[in-house]
Amino acid sequence: MTEHIRFGDVMREVGIDQTVVSYNDLTPKPEYDAEGRVKPYVARNLRLAPGDVYNLLSPYVGARFWDQVRSVLPLAVYLVLFQILILRQTVTDSWVITAGMGAVIVGLMLFMEGLKLGLMPFAGEIGDRLPKRSPLPVVLLIAFLLGIGVTFAEPAIGALQAVGAGVDVSRAPYLYALLNQWTGTLVLMVGIGVGAAAVLGTVRFLYGWSLKPFIYAALVPTLALSVYCWRDPHLAAILGLAWDCGAVTTGPVTVPLVLSLGIGIASAGGKGGSSLSGFGIVTLASLFPVLAVLGLGVYLSAVTSPEAVIHLAQTASAQSGAAQPAWFETTPGAEIIGGFRAIVPLVIFLFLVMRLVLRTRLHDAGIVAYGLVLAVAGMIVFNIGLSYGLAKLGGQSGSLVPAAFLSLEGVRGSPLYMAELGLVIAMAFAWILGFGATLAEPALNALGITVENLTQGAFRKTTLIYAVSIGVGFGILTGVLRIIYDIEILYLVLPGYVLAMALTAVSSEEFVNVAWDSAGVTTGPVTVPLVLAMGLGFGGALGAVDGFGILAMASIGPIVSVLLTGVWVSRRHRRRMAAETTNAQLVLAKAEGIEG
Amino acid sequence: MKKNIVVLTDVSLITCVVQRGAADDIIKAAREAGAQGATVSFARGTGVRERLGILGVAVEVEKEIIQVVVSTEQQDRVFEAMYLAGKLNTPGMGIMYVTHLEKAATHIPMEVLEKLRATGRSRHASAKA
Repeated sequence: MTEHIRFGDVMREVGIDQTVVSYNDLTPKPEYDAEGRVKPYVARNLRLAPGDVYNLLSPYVGARFWDQVRSVLPLAVYLVLFQILILRQTVTDSWVITAGMGAVIVGLMLFMEGLKLGLMPFAGEIGDRLPKRSPLPVVLLIAFLLGIGVTFAEPAIGALQAVGAGVDVSRAPYLYALLNQWTGTLVLMVGIGVGAAAVLGTVRFLYGWSLKPFIYAALVPTLALSVYCWRDPHLAAILGLAWDCGAVTTGPVTVPLVLSLGIGIASAGGKGGSSLSGFGIVTLASLFPVLAVLGLGVYLSAVTSPEAVIHLAQTASAQSGAAQPAWFETTPGAEIIGGFRAIVPLVIFLFLVMRLVLRTRLHDAGIVAYGLVLAVAGMIVFNIGLSYGLAKLGGQSGSLVPAAFLSLEGVRGSPLYMAELGLVIAMAFAWILGFGATLAEPALNALGITVENLTQGAFRKTTLIYAVSIGVGFGILTGVLRIIYDIEILYLVLPGYVLAMALTAVSSEEFVNVAWDSAGVTTGPVTVPLVLAMGLGFGGALGAVDGFGILAMASIGPIVSVLLTGVWVSRRHRRRMAAETTNAQLVLAKAEGIEG
Repeated sequence: MKKNIVVLTDVSLITCVVQRGAADDIIKAAREAGAQGATVSFARGTGVRERLGILGVAVEVEKEIIQVVVSTEQQDRVFEAMYLAGKLNTPGMGIMYVTHLEKAATHIPMEVLEKLRATGRSRHASAKA
């Protein structure tokens, strides 16, 4: 016997129950006031069940959390595995470091979200409106002040303070002074450099000038001042720090905020319609701070003597040994103060510009306030993670890697490998660290897409990403070799930048813009502290005067490698074009021959 | 010979507006339920976000609009799969709807067409019916 079932019934069982509701029953009915006019409808706020809140928040928090995990974890795992497997050393304080890394992830997550919700609305509003409302000098002044403000808010800048304590005062007094008593001034000088870069970069957008003369004009005095400092034995020690400062500045706060203002000005000015708008500020913002810091060093050498600095440092350390440090100098207090000091002045400045110059308000004051709270909280948590996670881990692996080829105190069985093999291992470690960290940088991917569009596909995205990553890899390798063999940083910086300038002279404008900017995008808030701490640990283990300069090398590397790739790409492109034209001419000639 | 194009009938359009980044999972679900393809465009939208108070920050203003063309037979299955994949029962996640399409046209493989002709499931319609 067959049983007959309606197909529709089967579908209803298999499918999902549907409850049909008329939308007419849900939409509000018009309400009239006393005079019979329709009252404008105002939607009431929704009340959510706890389950809904969870469903709403879990993708929101999850996506942002995993973004940061992806940027932090591979590097950390690489360092830890290298230490355990190749160097056969346990990670000391592993729980502190794990907690610190967790703090870095959470802090970055909060900070990035806060940046997007709390600071970017200001930047967008100011970038759009300011150039239309105010005369150019006022706009440029605000761009300059903004450059200073964003430098203080840059998360990686805290790394300078974190690593400063490890410098030996008697061997590099001025370096010690810059990183300890003068940190505020140091950051201010870096900020002034970024501000100047913002102003000049914006003017460049506005008039559509070529970047090349700006590069020469920024580099020549910087290199000259470097040579001057190098000849003074006490000042020579600050060269590494000065060149590293350029790499520290161009992070997740500076780039979007300064760029949005610059692009706004350029589009309001009318002439900046070129597709290259937006490039160049990053370049200048990584060159001018070097000049500013070198200048500060020269000033420092004029006002104090090395002996005075050493004396001051000794009395300070004697005092701190005796007295209990105040609450704002110990862990939670110092980071909380640092977090507020980074964000609050910038926000007050942006707010004053909005109210006094633009005379407007933000639409979503509640959400902006929430964003600012997140930014401050994120900065505080990140700073804690910076000192206990990134700086600690980087310093540890930096101080252990030399054990591969040297006999170090405190490392059992060192040297772990034969001298040559150990050296190769240390070099491979440095290269992979630079290559891998750069490959994973999200900003580089974005730059790659821009470049591919800009060159109509001649310069592929992957080509750029690999060119930059290889450049950074060799840069970090060179930086590490410099510390091992105690090479003067000037011997690397000077030929490096002279080569870069020579390549700049022969390259086309697009490639120059891309190459010089690519150096800035590679150094994010995770890479900078790790590499800085690693270099200092490395230098400390080898007894070098300072461990700076690795980041500086990591900036030159990609500039040279991208310029070289650019030369290669455009030569290949030209040859292909030439081949196509000759082919076309041949075909044409043939066709004419037939017709004739 | 007179020109001939193949026109599909019994076609529906499912449109789904969700937060930016959510489209991939929904499209995967739609394809697993039998949808042949999907189009995504970017947009901005408001609605529930403004009514959530401080929780509104969890809802992106940037949206993705997914458009999926399905047969009327598939329509409910794909619709349900997309609804579940997009967790549209959570406030702020998005909205979706089905519209009936009068006709659609695209590439139909020759062998499919011949099979349909052989079983008498295609018909000729003059240009002005």
